[in-house]
Amino acid sequence: MADVTNTAAPTMANAGKPIARYEARQKVTGGKIYGDDLAVPGKPAHGWLVTSAIAKGTITAIDDSAAKAVPGVLMIMTHENRPPLQPMKTFSTGGIGLTSQEPLGGPEIAHDGQIVALIVAETFEAAREAGRKLDISYNEGRPATTFGSPGVVRKTTKEVVGRGGGPTLGDVEAALAGSTHVVEAEYSTPVQHHNTIEMFTTTAFWEGDRLTLHEPSQFVWGAKVGLAKQLGIDPDNVHYVSPFVGGAFGAKAAIGHRTPLVALAAKQLGRPVKLVPTRDQCFTIAGYRQETKSKVRLGCDAEGRLTGYSHELDEFTSLLDPYHNGGLENSAAMYAFKAVGGDMFLSRGDRNVPVFMRSPPEVPVIYALESAMNELAEKAGMDPVAFRKLNDTRVNPVNGAPYTSRSLNECFDEAAASFGWSRRTPAPRSMRDGDWLIGWGCSMATYPTSMTPATARVTLNANGGAKVEVAAHDVGTGAYTIIGQTVGERLGIDPRRIIVQCGDSDLPPGPVSGGSVTTASVTSAVAKACDQLLAKMSASGPMSDEDRRAAFDRIGSNALIEYAEWTPAGMDPKQAKTLYEGGVPFAGGAGEDRTMFAFGAEMVEVRINERTREIRVPRMTGAFAAGHIMNPRTAHSQYLGGMIWGMGSALLEATEMDRLRGRYVNDNIAEYLVATNADIPQVDIIMVPEQDDEINVLGVKGIGELANVGTAAAITDAVYHATGVRIRDLPVRIEQLLV
Amino acid sequence: MADDIKKAGPDRRSVLKGSALAGGVGAMLATNVRAAQDGEPRAAAAVSRIPVSLSVNGQTRDVSVDTRATLLDTLRHDFELTGTKKGCDHGQCGACTVHIDGERKLSCLTLAATVEGADIVTIEGLAKGDALHPMQQAFIDHDAFQCGYCTPGQIMSAVALVKEGHTGSDAEIREYMSGNLCRCAAYPNIVAAVKQAAPQMGDA
Amino acid sequence: MRPFQYERAASPARAVSSADAGSKYHAGGTTLIDLMKLDVWRPERLIDISALKEPRMTRIERNGKALRIGSMVTMAALAGDEGVRRSCPVLTDSLWLAASAQLRNMARLGGNVLQMTRCSYYRDTSYDQCNKRAPGSGCAALDGSNRHHAILGTSDACIATYPGDWAQALIALDAVVEILGKDGPKSVPFATLHRQPGNRPDVETTLAAGDLITAFVIPDADWARSKYLKIRDRESYAFALTSAAVALRMDGDAVSDVRIGLGGVATVPWRATAAEAVLKNAALSEDTAQQAAEAAFAGANTLEHNAYKVELGKRTLVRALMDTAGMEA
Repeated sequence: MADVTNTAAPTMANAGKPIARYEARQKVTGGKIYGDDLAVPGKPAHGWLVTSAIAKGTITAIDDSAAKAVPGVLMIMTHENRPPLQPMKTFSTGGIGLTSQEPLGGPEIAHDGQIVALIVAETFEAAREAGRKLDISYNEGRPATTFGSPGVVRKTTKEVVGRGGGPTLGDVEAALAGSTHVVEAEYSTPVQHHNTIEMFTTTAFWEGDRLTLHEPSQFVWGAKVGLAKQLGIDPDNVHYVSPFVGGAFGAKAAIGHRTPLVALAAKQLGRPVKLVPTRDQCFTIAGYRQETKSKVRLGCDAEGRLTGYSHELDEFTSLLDPYHNGGLENSAAMYAFKAVGGDMFLSRGDRNVPVFMRSPPEVPVIYALESAMNELAEKAGMDPVAFRKLNDTRVNPVNGAPYTSRSLNECFDEAAASFGWSRRTPAPRSMRDGDWLIGWGCSMATYPTSMTPATARVTLNANGGAKVEVAAHDVGTGAYTIIGQTVGERLGIDPRRIIVQCGDSDLPPGPVSGGSVTTASVTSAVAKACDQLLAKMSASGPMSDEDRRAAFDRIGSNALIEYAEWTPAGMDPKQAKTLYEGGVPFAGGAGEDRTMFAFGAEMVEVRINERTREIRVPRMTGAFAAGHIMNPRTAHSQYLGGMIWGMGSALLEATEMDRLRGRYVNDNIAEYLVATNADIPQVDIIMVPEQDDEINVLGVKGIGELANVGTAAAITDAVYHATGVRIRDLPVRIEQLLV
Repeated sequence: MADDIKKAGPDRRSVLKGSALAGGVGAMLATNVRAAQDGEPRAAAAVSRIPVSLSVNGQTRDVSVDTRATLLDTLRHDFELTGTKKGCDHGQCGACTVHIDGERKLSCLTLAATVEGADIVTIEGLAKGDALHPMQQAFIDHDAFQCGYCTPGQIMSAVALVKEGHTGSDAEIREYMSGNLCRCAAYPNIVAAVKQAAPQMGDA
Repeated sequence: MRPFQYERAASPARAVSSADAGSKYHAGGTTLIDLMKLDVWRPERLIDISALKEPRMTRIERNGKALRIGSMVTMAALAGDEGVRRSCPVLTDSLWLAASAQLRNMARLGGNVLQMTRCSYYRDTSYDQCNKRAPGSGCAALDGSNRHHAILGTSDACIATYPGDWAQALIALDAVVEILGKDGPKSVPFATLHRQPGNRPDVETTLAAGDLITAFVIPDADWARSKYLKIRDRESYAFALTSAAVALRMDGDAVSDVRIGLGGVATVPWRATAAEAVLKNAALSEDTAQQAAEAAFAGANTLEHNAYKVELGKRTLVRALMDTAGMEA
């Protein structure tokens, strides 16, 4: 690891060392660390997916004569010849499946881009050619595409899935009726796709009865157990290998159709099969963030104190499986509301199944709440920062459960000072620079701190070398680095002498890398294993080299190994067993007796050309407090990336649909726009020190999904401030401002 | 550069329509437009392979490639140089950026057959033994990546950018790095890394 | 991608004589390989002309006011030409504001002007309706998703937008295209190179089979007061929603000469002659610029999602005119 001096590594109170990433050298030299890079035994065959050209209907015929005739073609798997598979449960129902729909299960087409064939050939070029030549005939029906499409039925979430009514507190109608100021507005968020730069690759090979998968995964243990069930084999015979993941953001946790199909093909051919799908296929063979609508009513009294908060949340989802996020239980905990009401609804259509995407359920729900907060502050004639500080709370108003820590006001103070918020003139269109209208906006950021059971094995040598093993995942978050740091700090050894192994289902089970649970959960298990080691050496804290050597001498061994199972406080320790079964029970957030969230404050400046109305974001400031920060360098990068995600989500990202045909139209990354370097002139990240001794042993909160929450509300408020035009439907597009 | 539209005919996919879409606006036919040339199989060209001599990271190797093989797939499949990444395969992300005769180009839109004799440098060829290229070190120093998947392309692009002389301002660096998407959004750190490495590069 | 034979052309003449209905030229490859991977284009033979070194195809030459730019010059090379940037910035702006540095290093100008539409229904062969790809099959964009589609030069058969930027500068500046054809060299006005779709959107250009663009000639390239304004959703690496290539000569406040090309709004490179007529010999002001913009978009046809392009296109042109007028002559 290189010695460094850098701008991206601030030091702060209550934080670990800003050391460089464990795998930094591999990442800058092109190391073979991603699924499709890894070597396989023997010459692999290459796969190609054929996906449906319609969103709804039936396959009436498949003519594979031209495809078969392509030299080098080894296999064409369709619903007509697919080997048997067992049913798959979805993630939401305790399984690992993206959908309960059977892969190549029949001629029915349930959504655009459904996998209808897997072709395997000697070369990628031959497989692709055969894929283009596979002739499929359909009987096409009219799809129900999105909100408002013919055939779409709206029901309460509770009616559909049996749970999920909104939180209630007091009489919200009375509270709103008695309010001095009330905002009533509807907000919407679009379909968005994760578009990780690494696509959904899968490599499979069998050695005897043992299947190895090289596949980017946020949950190798879940995938191993789930896939084994689907294939009808012993989980011990499935080996998932995913040392590093080229971006995940929620897209690489659930197993879609491709994985079992590639595994079956490799079995049938008796050789490794590699699949690299196309970018457009990645829009339909995996999940996405579903579109939402929020109807918010929010009131305050003459002094600006919040009264009632009512939120009706509509989510769109698939007719195949009712994936949904909800989220009102979290938003209801945010401020000192006197009364809370609302409900959640699902509408379903002929669409692929959505899945978690960075910061569910907060992104749409907090966008709506924070937008309403900004609108209400204006109505009340208050500065939006002062308005939020006035309405801060130390408890969840719905159940009175206290926050373990909450530094939102401190975040706003720090952000405001850095950004220069006091120089904002409140009137819309009151700030400009030549032909450019300037707008400043702000929002809260928040994300629940959740924890799951985790395990870890730590090996310590007498000479101070160590190895830590846990099937956690590094999706760019710095998991290897902070796991190594945990061992180093706990045992008093140099992190450079610690080998960290993750991303392999042969390792002790770790949780899904989702819901920002990894740091809090896995480091807790690692710390527990370290404490067990220390106890064996009769030590109570980090040891000097001499003390450690002396301890080893006393014990009469040269290496000690400890295995720890950890469960979050308040969870039945027996729940750790779930991990071994491929499951992952969550605890945290808006709990019954404690409320656990990380917070931040975000401020943005937008510039909008007076004439042509293009929107640019020259600077953003975010101040965040999330307990103990394991590594300020990697934390800084996560916050930075999060705010840029939030900006993209507000201004750029939307999957456009052909509403008649039920198909995603801009299914590529030239037209599904994510931010480029040129879009991001300046982002200032402030890490506000926060101590939380109650939340977990290390006092850490998850941070990976914090900074992109609320950004959109800050941006739409800045757009209003610049132009006087309130945009409530995301993303903000130039045509909405040509008024 | 005439486009032979007849050859670019439709898929042989024949859709038996339900009632939903037929007769919509989209089905409007201009009456004097030639009917689709559907279903006439032409003699397909046989798979064509071609011997090429490729110089990658200073080493020349003779390989036989499918004329359709891209440099990207050839590097990954035949040379087992997997540092160069496939992120879109259509010139939309920059993850496959390599240097061809000193210029940054996209290996996904480059046929291997077209670069015979060219000097190709990939991310694996940037360090001199254990000594990292100043740009690689700068990326580490500034944590200019998270998941790391776009990083090889970013670094190859950044090295070329410095040689092109586009380091005049932060804005110029940003613009000339915009052909490399980073979904983790490490952009400001990438700009800082470029600024650190630029004066250190010399003729490296 | 379908199998094809690959051959390297030894000379432009050999390339042209070898070309036939089943072949395509490979220059930078950025459009060609993209569309071949998508299975939209299925040539049986590629004639690789990328290594041709003929000076007339590879040089940028100035002769008095005239500028002659070889078709094999890369986008990056012309974008980086300081002399051209000083004498005629619209020619270089419209290049560096397009694509990415890597693509500009690859793409040759001859191919750049022939780049194909980004219409999703054209690029994705799984849509069965596309008159450009499958003549007579219909146009899915008419009742589909059409935010990016054209409002000028459209027909009932096709509304696909011409996506290029540099072509707007060429058409504005009365460029001439030099072509080597089966019958020898010929020159045609750039304005006649592209065809509006009419009822044959599959026929993109007036080029004959085997025609090879060898150079672009701009008879008068002294337009120091010229610029390319490109409006797009993101700051870089994006296609134009609307754009304007504007070149002005001023006599005090009066416009003595004006050229206008419009991008992102039309099915082909678009010369706004009606707008030019409004401005010629008039004093340039907000009012006259607005009148010119009204004239430019008088014939626009809009659909569900692209109606905004009328207003945005007008504002783009007005801003480009006012900005250009403010430049140092």
